[in-house]
Amino acid sequence: MSNLALFSTLVFIVITIAVSFWQKLGLEKDLAVNTARSAVQLFLIGYVLQYIFRAEQPFLILLMVMMMVSVASWNVAQRGKGLKGIWWRAAITIAFTELVTISLLLGFKIIEPASQSIIPMCGMVAGNSMIASSLFLAQMKREVEASRAEIETLLSLGATNRQSIQDVIARAVKASMIPNIDNMKTVGLVMLPGVMTGMIVAGANPLEAVRYQILIMFLFATSPAITSMLLSLLTYQLWFTKNSMLKEKREL
Amino acid sequence: MKILHVERLSKCASANESIISDVTVSVEEPSIIHILGGSGAGKSTFLRILGLLDHPDRGQIYYRGKQAKEWLAAEWRRHVAYCAQLPVMLPGTVEDNLRIVSRLHHLSFDPNEVKHLLELVGLSYLDWNKPAFALSGGEKQRVALVRTILMRPEILLVDEVTSSLDINSCQMVKNFIKRFHQEEGGTVIWVTHDLEQAKDIGHRVWFFANGRLLENICTPSFFHHPKTEEAKSFISCRTSQKNGNEGVFV
Repeated sequence: MSNLALFSTLVFIVITIAVSFWQKLGLEKDLAVNTARSAVQLFLIGYVLQYIFRAEQPFLILLMVMMMVSVASWNVAQRGKGLKGIWWRAAITIAFTELVTISLLLGFKIIEPASQSIIPMCGMVAGNSMIASSLFLAQMKREVEASRAEIETLLSLGATNRQSIQDVIARAVKASMIPNIDNMKTVGLVMLPGVMTGMIVAGANPLEAVRYQILIMFLFATSPAITSMLLSLLTYQLWFTKNSMLKEKREL
Repeated sequence: MKILHVERLSKCASANESIISDVTVSVEEPSIIHILGGSGAGKSTFLRILGLLDHPDRGQIYYRGKQAKEWLAAEWRRHVAYCAQLPVMLPGTVEDNLRIVSRLHHLSFDPNEVKHLLELVGLSYLDWNKPAFALSGGEKQRVALVRTILMRPEILLVDEVTSSLDINSCQMVKNFIKRFHQEEGGTVIWVTHDLEQAKDIGHRVWFFANGRLLENICTPSFFHHPKTEEAKSFISCRTSQKNGNEGVFV
């Protein structure tokens, strides 16, 4: 893509700012700042990736993945504000999901053991895990409040913390997986997904693009499942006091 | 060994307002104890603390000589079981609710025993396949009580469980709880506003006012010779209210 063509893409932002100004949405400043920010971030990461891909050093790959996991965990921690130690729990969860999925991809020789394959996959898995974690925590907060009486009744019947919150966890795990399941239902019919679109635009054979997209779809079906189940195991005790009583909303 | 012992228990609503102040009391032998007192006296909070569903700010509770924090909470709640004023049915059918204790504690489920218990509380007609949420308030209350009794607790904590029942069902529940004490040797700690019930089947009264335990006395003495002015005024007020209500219906 030429510099002029790249610069021309700003027309989309200009249209959006104009609509915001016309409709008095007050989004002009946010749009302008975030446009500049995202462009700078993407260029920076482009240069970093170019350097890493050329260097092919395992520790650089690891460093990059650790950065992705840290930022994703920080984002999840924002969603889980009030839950003690949520950052490291999210970090373990996302890192574990990365480990399982990337190991399988490499183990079955689905991707090449090269930084050019590993880093983009790790980025997609981290992003997907981050969304699943955030959805899971948000849903848990809602479900625990809505099911307070149910949980307390089970506790009063001698249930353990895990037994009393099991159904609530199941509902929250399900909710965190719904976007990916829905996406699988309509993929290719409603929209052409990102990887496939990118590859086709870049000139790849559509059938080859479809193969990669299938890989990504299946990966995206697995990672939220692993993420939300592991995160539920690591966090469910946070909803209880050390005496096994359900915490009040103000205690979280 | 004391069955239950409460030592200097306090709970505050805020820095200046206490819900329960410095309560010390014991249960020495299986009995039916009624907790009496006006609204806001701290009775229900006290009961929830005994059931480990609310935490005190100060003080200790002991069951069978062991402090609450030495017990696994789930174990404590199996022995000291709480039945709430507003019954909560778990998702599923009536049968799911009745089976929950067996499921949680990996116990065998005896349908005949459950049928018998339901009969005792006047629910022999109940369709076990009916969604539990569709039961009436009184039916839910009695199913919740049977569900709690199926845990075979040693102490039963009941919070105004007869308040939403008609006269017949109310009498059946009273007999049911009395039977639990007589046949199974259980202790019942019962929050109620029903003075007649306390007189009829209670052994002791714990009288609360403003979060303080003012009287811990055997039931006949409480009604005939209350020690505190608060208890005298509470009894006379309730008695005149009752007479007034009866007058309206006459």
